[in-house]
Amino acid sequence: MSREYIRLEHISKKYKTEPVLKNIDARLHEGEILGFLGPSGAGKTTTIKIITGQLKQTSGEAYILGINSRDIDETIYEQIGIVTDNSGIYEYLTVYKNLEYFAKILRVKKDRIDEVLRQVGLYEQKNKPAGKLSKGQTQRLVLARAVLHSPRVLFLDEPTSGLDPSTAIEIHKMLLELKRQGMAIFLTTHNMEEATKMCDHVALLNEGVIVEYGTPKDICLKHNKIKKYAVRLHDGTEHLLEQNQENIGRIHNWMTENQVETLHSCEPTLESVFLNVTGRELS
Amino acid sequence: MKTLHMNKIMAIAQVKTKAFMGKNCIIMPLFALGFTLLMRILYGKMANGGSSADSMNAYALSMGLVMNIGMCGIYCTSLLLAEEKEKKTLRVLMTSSVNGMEYFIGCILPVFTATVILNYVLMPVSGYIISGKNLVLYSVVTILSSLISCIIGMLLGIFAKNQVSAGTITTPVLLVLMMVPMFSNFIEILSTISKFFFTGILMDMIMDIAADKGSVLQAGSVVIMVVEAVLAVGLFVVCYRRNGFERD
Repeated sequence: MSREYIRLEHISKKYKTEPVLKNIDARLHEGEILGFLGPSGAGKTTTIKIITGQLKQTSGEAYILGINSRDIDETIYEQIGIVTDNSGIYEYLTVYKNLEYFAKILRVKKDRIDEVLRQVGLYEQKNKPAGKLSKGQTQRLVLARAVLHSPRVLFLDEPTSGLDPSTAIEIHKMLLELKRQGMAIFLTTHNMEEATKMCDHVALLNEGVIVEYGTPKDICLKHNKIKKYAVRLHDGTEHLLEQNQENIGRIHNWMTENQVETLHSCEPTLESVFLNVTGRELS
Repeated sequence: MKTLHMNKIMAIAQVKTKAFMGKNCIIMPLFALGFTLLMRILYGKMANGGSSADSMNAYALSMGLVMNIGMCGIYCTSLLLAEEKEKKTLRVLMTSSVNGMEYFIGCILPVFTATVILNYVLMPVSGYIISGKNLVLYSVVTILSSLISCIIGMLLGIFAKNQVSAGTITTPVLLVLMMVPMFSNFIEILSTISKFFFTGILMDMIMDIAADKGSVLQAGSVVIMVVEAVLAVGLFVVCYRRNGFERD
């Protein structure tokens, strides 16, 4: 049984009288990725801030690495890494010096800097001033800094927001490798493809409420109430068929006559589940 | 009481030293040097009119010191804190196991050191060299003044969101702390007020040393400076506890 790294119990948060989180429950274990999926303003970043002790919840309890978030101090940050879409870098320092700064603070051996730079694909740019990096490279530097001390829990707040697809894929690869090594990753995103591909569990968050929680596959199957199949025949015609006796017979005939070019079941995506449950789009 | 880690303080101080050497900050100590030299030359010419050259150089030194302590100690400290907020590196640092006290010490260490060193460099630049017992008093008062100014800089930095607002917020404070002592010779009320400012006490002390007075620093002045130091720390602690380094 893998160890529990994060536990949220009935977390609620109000800014003045406006509720932003309502009765949130979630768990994250070692070597897992938990995704908080929701549109802007759903409460994803607020959740991260509560777990990491940057913000106090109105009610409920949050535990990180077994410690109540109300009791944590700065030493917790030796065991966690945080990446947000507005994490800054020291533009007047080189890429290497940026990491060296945090290596000194976190007592990390210097050999690790080169190792991490290779991991994120920034080794060739190590002597370049950080202010001259592209947006994708900057985000990779922020990620390198967050994993420099090999944290047990990594928080990623929209890590691939605004990045080109190839950089996003590189970052996904790196995150899956970190997960394989046992790191627990708490990911917030409004990109449902990213969530489906990366997360072991996802929480669909809407206006501060978790409207669905589970594995991406289970959530999609749960909402697959009207089963449909997309069929493309050799003559180029496409058919979207609901599962019933008549259509089963049609598909059977096409297959018998070897007319089927492609056949796919049409489960809903996380995006369509979200739309179905909340009436809102994710992005 | 939080544990202080030297590795963290020194790492912050090293990066802050580099930031201090940046064009926005380094101009301030250079300005203090240039200003002192200019005052020396200007007052040197005026000295022919009657006042002794020594006294004029001492006046140039006192003006340079106030300029250095204000521009370097207050403005640069505040600017460096504001820059971290503007570039969004402060929150990164504070979520990298650095506590408030470590950051505070690491931040003021380079600026404080530079301000103190420059206080001594200003002596030969102004042409007025202080020695013996008066040098001890000079050291105590300038070091304490530099420390107060750095704390005030950090305090004002809490309220600055970016480098531009750091300038806006520090300017009125700088004007009061620098102009009141500078114009105290001309306006009587300012002379009285100036006695309650650490910058005024510093200027008066230099002029009293130049006038060869027996007692150049009153016990009351020392008390005022200590009270101001305590007040600056107290205000800083209150504001920090309320807002952290970011007032949002």
